[in-house]
Amino acid sequence: MIELKNVHKAFGKNTVLKGINLKVNKGEVVVILGPSGSGKTTLLRCINFLESADDGELIIGDTKVDFKNATSKEILAVRRRTAMVFQNYNLFNNMNAIENVMEGLVTGRKMPIGRAREIAKQALDKVGLKDKYEAYPLQLSGGQQQRVGIARAIALNPDVILFDEPTSALDPELVGEVLSVMQAVAKEGITMIVVTHEMSFAMDIAQHIIFMADGNIVEEGSPKDIFTNPKEKRTKQFLERILPRWNYSI
Amino acid sequence: MGSLFDIRLVFEYFPLIFSRFPITLLIVVVAIGAGLVLGLFIALVRMRKVLLLNQFAILYVSFVRGTPIIVQLFIIYYGFPLLLEQVGIDITQWEKIYFVLVTYGLNNAAFMSEIIRSAISSVPDGQREAAYSVGLSRWQALRRVILPQAFLNAFPVFGTRVVNTFESTSLAFTLGILDMVGQAQAIGSRTYHELEGYVVLAIIFIAISMILEKLFVHAEKRFIQQRR
Ligand SMILES: Nc1ncnc2c1ncn2[C@@H]1O[C@H](COP(=O)(O)OP(=O)(O)OP(=O)(O)O)[C@@H](O)[C@H]1O
Ligand SMILES: [Mg+2]
Repeated sequence: MIELKNVHKAFGKNTVLKGINLKVNKGEVVVILGPSGSGKTTLLRCINFLESADDGELIIGDTKVDFKNATSKEILAVRRRTAMVFQNYNLFNNMNAIENVMEGLVTGRKMPIGRAREIAKQALDKVGLKDKYEAYPLQLSGGQQQRVGIARAIALNPDVILFDEPTSALDPELVGEVLSVMQAVAKEGITMIVVTHEMSFAMDIAQHIIFMADGNIVEEGSPKDIFTNPKEKRTKQFLERILPRWNYSI
Repeated sequence: MGSLFDIRLVFEYFPLIFSRFPITLLIVVVAIGAGLVLGLFIALVRMRKVLLLNQFAILYVSFVRGTPIIVQLFIIYYGFPLLLEQVGIDITQWEKIYFVLVTYGLNNAAFMSEIIRSAISSVPDGQREAAYSVGLSRWQALRRVILPQAFLNAFPVFGTRVVNTFESTSLAFTLGILDMVGQAQAIGSRTYHELEGYVVLAIIFIAISMILEKLFVHAEKRFIQQRR
């Protein structure tokens, strides 16, 4: 289980997160929706301390961290319980696919190389890249790179995987392969927090939808609640814009 | 004697002068080695803006870059013993070569720190973030992800620095050490045939600079091929 309490974050005078409370159960897939600039990326990045939140609390498993005075030891501990899939993949350019997947295990967690290699192979097989172990990022398509990114995350067996718009840098014809890998990961019962604009993924895979605007969680609920029966005006406006043929009576 | 330039003397001097090449090589190797280690340290101090050390590093780098190495040689030669005397270390008996090594090492550290700094910042932020996201510490991220990529980016500039260092060793003789240049000078003043010695030096310096450049271009190609 992972829980956020009263998370605040400002960049200078620009307050981006205004007291976020969020609870994600083990095995749950949570999708965060919201207009551009609403703070979705910032929220995800605060969870693994790529951004340091100004205030609030993070509980992940049996670890409890106060954002305001987190030590570097605590930060490392949280990072070793989480994984992230980036919009631009961010594969290590100096390593091939399997080394990318092994790095967190071998260097971060001091796992013996042989075992890490086995785990990395399994992860790459799972995302359909059995024949690409030795390929460097530059030799892979965007979709393949992102699948390595997902393999890198699942190999760590984290408490939660954070996805920040994992398909939005991809050519349209490559989106499907990444979404279906994500769907398979979700089916395995891995906890996922996903920022995405792929509404089909949100409707079909998510158990819980969060709608954010202006640094607040405006509304949350099951996909059915949010997509068929949104309560808040801002949610309705957003859905109308993003789903042109959407209407209240689905 | 007679003629001012005797080609036979070029051949005669060549082995005498080239036999001093190991000293030149020693200076270059120590300068590059110390420059890399100390330069990385200075670069990190500057990038993390470590209090006081950062200000000192800025001053240091601009001093080294703003003064000729011959000035630095003499400052170290006369100043370093005085400085160490303050803390009770007596180095007045040191051989001159040590002062040369210290000077070239410190000199290179300043230049190298600038190269390393710009190489590190040329690695996209996403690489560091991804390293953190898989649970690497700051130092692990630097060592495993950032520096290898920075090194590759810096490789051509690094090559140029090595060649420059090699060429700048030609001033080490001013402290009176017998490197290749010192040897050429000694022979010249002994035989009154100075020009031949300098012709030999020119040939050696051109040849070695060219070999170094070729080596770096070759190595760079190898590195890059590996990735594509
Ligand atoms: N490093 C930063 N420095 C300053 N301001 C930032 C930084 N990162 C984000 N912001 C600001 O924070 C706000 C929220 O940005 P964020 O990236 O979290 O939004 P988002 O919901 O992910 O948007 P998008 O859908 O466009 O990705 C924006 O106003 C943005 O300009
Ligand atoms: Mg975003």
